Amino acid sequence: MITWEQFIYFAVAAVLLWVVGAWGAWKGRAKMAYATTGTGLLVFFSFIVLMWISLERPPLRTMGETRLWYSFFLPLAGIIVYTRWKYKWILTFSTILALVFICVNLLKPEMHSKALMPALQSPWFAPHVIVYMFCYAVLGAATVMAIYLLFFKKKAVTAEELEITDNLVYVGLAFMTVGMLFGALWAKEAWGHYWNWDPKETWAAITWFAYLIYIHYRRLPNSNQRLALWCLIVAFVLLQMCWWGINYLPSAQATSVHTYNS
Amino acid sequence: MKEGFAIGIGLIALGVVLQLAVGPVAWSAFAWPVNGVVMLAFVAIIALIYALRKRVYAMLFLGTNYAAIPAMALAVVLTIVMGLTIQSAEGTWFNNMLSFWPFVLIYMLIALILGQVIIGRALHFKWKRDIPFMLNHLGLFLAMTTATLGNADVQRLRMITTEGLPEWRAVADNGMVKTMPMSIELKKFMMETYDDGSPKRFASAIKIVEKSGREMEATIDVNKPIVVDGWKIYQYGYDTSMGAESKISILELVSDPWLPLVYAGIFMMLGGAVCMFIFGKKRK
Repeated sequence: MITWEQFIYFAVAAVLLWVVGAWGAWKGRAKMAYATTGTGLLVFFSFIVLMWISLERPPLRTMGETRLWYSFFLPLAGIIVYTRWKYKWILTFSTILALVFICVNLLKPEMHSKALMPALQSPWFAPHVIVYMFCYAVLGAATVMAIYLLFFKKKAVTAEELEITDNLVYVGLAFMTVGMLFGALWAKEAWGHYWNWDPKETWAAITWFAYLIYIHYRRLPNSNQRLALWCLIVAFVLLQMCWWGINYLPSAQATSVHTYNS
Repeated sequence: MKEGFAIGIGLIALGVVLQLAVGPVAWSAFAWPVNGVVMLAFVAIIALIYALRKRVYAMLFLGTNYAAIPAMALAVVLTIVMGLTIQSAEGTWFNNMLSFWPFVLIYMLIALILGQVIIGRALHFKWKRDIPFMLNHLGLFLAMTTATLGNADVQRLRMITTEGLPEWRAVADNGMVKTMPMSIELKKFMMETYDDGSPKRFASAIKIVEKSGREMEATIDVNKPIVVDGWKIYQYGYDTSMGAESKISILELVSDPWLPLVYAGIFMMLGGAVCMFIFGKKRK
């Protein structure tokens, strides 16, 4: 049976493969980038599947478990962006970000029991959280892009770069909408109502509107590029509140059906 | 954009005045048929504003992104306040945002703007261009307005069923007792636990007798409600001091007549999200 003890072996192997993939992308060796990043994803995903089997439930309950999915989806989002727009630095960024989350999981391994409260035993559970994690990864990539364009790029921002950012946000928001509405449909089955303004739901609505603002603002003929990119960074900060920040909020401590850690 | 913020901040100021003058929004007063009338009136106002858009500049403005963005920004600000404060039905002002006039008015403004752009597109409808737009905007409009107005008609009652005793009565949150159109008798409460004692599964085998005399037996699990006569019946709780030996089971009975409309909106938005993923940003 696989346990968290073995995580480090899978993680090291996957990260090494991703690093080679990122290097390949820099050097313009696309085939190598695909092959190694893909194999790394496979290695990492096999750990998730083995954990799933040994826990006898989807590993999606604790923050540590969602970080696991996040570190998987970051390189996946990276390779999708790379396939579509051939950005040679994107795999480096996605690898570094995935590494950060893997390190957090290695340094702060949360004990993961088999217990899964009855309300979470639903066919909606896995799609709801997985779709959200993918959304967070894609919007993370959009945020990295915004930071790069705002603070690191010396030359003027090109229309193409903004288009990539826009497309990342469209994909991220599409997944966010699906994740949120799956949550609503699930809530109706589990808790009797589709929207209860639970603190997590409140912050999900805030995040959703924040990205809608970006999308609508970018459609203005005279929109300010820097303001739009700043909007993305603020939206991602709000997303952090929704994702884990509410665990530290007094207003959410006792009342949210989404806080399971304690 | 300045005009948009002016409208929104004006509405917030109006909301504060209303809050002081008439107190929080009395949602319970919106029970059927009032909510139906309000919904029709709201749609009529939207249509009227659209019709007057060429005469009154402010009404034309409401159909633009310059109105939508400030409205959403102010909604974000007010909802952040909601997310940072403790909410309760007994709370006042920030502690009961759902009945706080400025909050309600800002979301009404969003619905009003949605109404304007929806009519605008509907009158110049091009299938390929406008389907994703309609799914997203009309879906949100429908889900938002019907969920809000329909809320007054939602009934959530709890029934304590006892082994071997048919029960007709259920209790609302406010303590009101209601006689149901069916009786429920607990046949057996079932519970499984994990090694650490935490509940793995709890469910109730029940027998239902409707007023018409129709009988049925069913098992209700958490996450697996059943529907009888327009009521969704949920496994809610049990006698926690007895655990697996509990001789009672608490069921929740929910009736939400507006649900089909809300779901229509939700499924439109799901379709819209799929379109957003496939088509991404349209190039001009």
